[in-house]
Amino acid sequence: MGKKNYISAALCLVVAIVIMVGTGKNFLAAREVPLPEKGPSVTEVKMLSDWFDGLKDTNGDTPVYVLKGEKEGGAALVLGGTHANEPSGYMSAFTFIETAVVEAGTVYVIPYTNHSAMTHNDPGEGNIQYFTIPTQSGERTFRFGSRATNPIDQWPDPDVYVHYPSNQQLSGSETRNINRAYPGRPDGNLTEKMAYGVAELIRTENVGITFDLHEASPEYPVINATVAHQNAMDIASEGCIELLLGGIDMALEQSPTNFHGLTHRELGDFTDTMAILMETANASQGRLRGASGVEQVIGGLDRFYEINEDLGMLYVPFDENGHPIEERCGRHLQGIYEYIAAYNNANPDDAIIYSGVPGYDELFLNADPATLGGAHLGSFLK
Amino acid sequence: MNKKISALLLAGVMILSLAACGSQGSASSSVDPSGETVGLTEAFAEAPILVTSGGQSADYQMVGTLMGKIGMDYKISNLATSADLGDAKTLIVVVGGSSKGLGAAGIDADGELARLEELIDGAKTAGLSVIAMHTGGEARRGDLSDKFIAPIFEKADYAIVVSAGDEDGLMSGICSGAGIPMDSIDSISKVATVLPAAFK
Repeated sequence: MGKKNYISAALCLVVAIVIMVGTGKNFLAAREVPLPEKGPSVTEVKMLSDWFDGLKDTNGDTPVYVLKGEKEGGAALVLGGTHANEPSGYMSAFTFIETAVVEAGTVYVIPYTNHSAMTHNDPGEGNIQYFTIPTQSGERTFRFGSRATNPIDQWPDPDVYVHYPSNQQLSGSETRNINRAYPGRPDGNLTEKMAYGVAELIRTENVGITFDLHEASPEYPVINATVAHQNAMDIASEGCIELLLGGIDMALEQSPTNFHGLTHRELGDFTDTMAILMETANASQGRLRGASGVEQVIGGLDRFYEINEDLGMLYVPFDENGHPIEERCGRHLQGIYEYIAAYNNANPDDAIIYSGVPGYDELFLNADPATLGGAHLGSFLK
Repeated sequence: MNKKISALLLAGVMILSLAACGSQGSASSSVDPSGETVGLTEAFAEAPILVTSGGQSADYQMVGTLMGKIGMDYKISNLATSADLGDAKTLIVVVGGSSKGLGAAGIDADGELARLEELIDGAKTAGLSVIAMHTGGEARRGDLSDKFIAPIFEKADYAIVVSAGDEDGLMSGICSGAGIPMDSIDSISKVATVLPAAFK
């Protein structure tokens, strides 16, 4: 081998090592996920493994923020980050944790319900890994994760996913989707263990009402919608009417009895909680979008969705203003407020009373349009 | 040559398929939207009231919740048949198709349509007043929801419609054509205002 070949080989090796170090650092950094600052009512930060120790020392263990009021009352649970690529879910959870003043009862908030899914993303989708918004303390960076558990933590996927205990069969990749894993099982895979941990928390703490916060692509039919277990439909009807009166376009659907693994089905069936799931419009999902970017994720903008709106392909209105993160979080947080108010009407002895959390008006309708797309939401965060 | 002929034939079939798709969509908008509807002028209905769904969307529950809020007494059953009419004197059918709702109820669209036809025919035979409502706006339009609209609205004595769901004039066209009084409202919350006026 000539001298030149040695030099070329050495150069290639150096370039390969530089790339490996760079990508390796990026890969490892994804395991660090930013956490909420403690708000005025946070009395404790526990881990989901405190309710199910099978999660201890796994990437499925996740912080649970406990916001306890001074007065006795009922218990509510807010699940953010069930799907880590649906940012209004976990950003609503952050906002609730950092702003809520709980007067009666206890609110448990899990910002990253599938913690493992937050530690990777979907590079095949060209998705971003992080986004940054200005907050009261300066710029804060948040993760943008994946819909499913990190394959580092659970692999390989079976060809067919068989849900426990219904035996419903789904695509193999759904085995890492926590919203197909409920009610979970203690000796199952990591995703099933996470689901079991959530169900155990609900059972142990007598959680009366549970919210699961989601987003969906504009071309998905169940959008700007609430899906509720049949035992929560009276409360959901009352809350939904209040949302409509407040100018929020919200459809209400009852959870199908034959579609298993989802919070609104299994948590209602296997615990005593009233399970409610909400969907907002996310421009960074779906097949009709343009190239992925921050402007989709938190700006809610996409010119290809504008075109598809004109073609009648979408289930939500979509214009040049898009659906900024403030609108999406505002819908979720106003929804939580109205559904809890309806819950309180039906359960006055177990009321959950809180204030201080910005709703739809504060977050979206009354905002300076120039600040939408992250800055206005950040003004409520510590 | 044969390949070229096959390709041309295939292209022709595809174009015909697309045309067929188009014709289905235009059927719902073929209703003349210029027909004038007339609102309700005098009360005609009486309690007791039975509320049911027409398509298994949750809109019937929201209407029930609103009725409860204003003190109207009613029974509610999403799967009611004529055997459930009991002593009811008014049947309210809240129309809106939902695939999730049909799944939750364990019934398919054809079964739901058959149930509604049997229920409404039974109600008419028993002399009940029938009120058709469409309160879900644009979100409750489309192939599934539209399947339930005509069979229910055509047999109604009175209709209440959230206007956003009737921009193509489908429901107002049916009502004006059949002389059925219809009130358009801008949101479901207005049900609480117009519905009590229908009751003696």
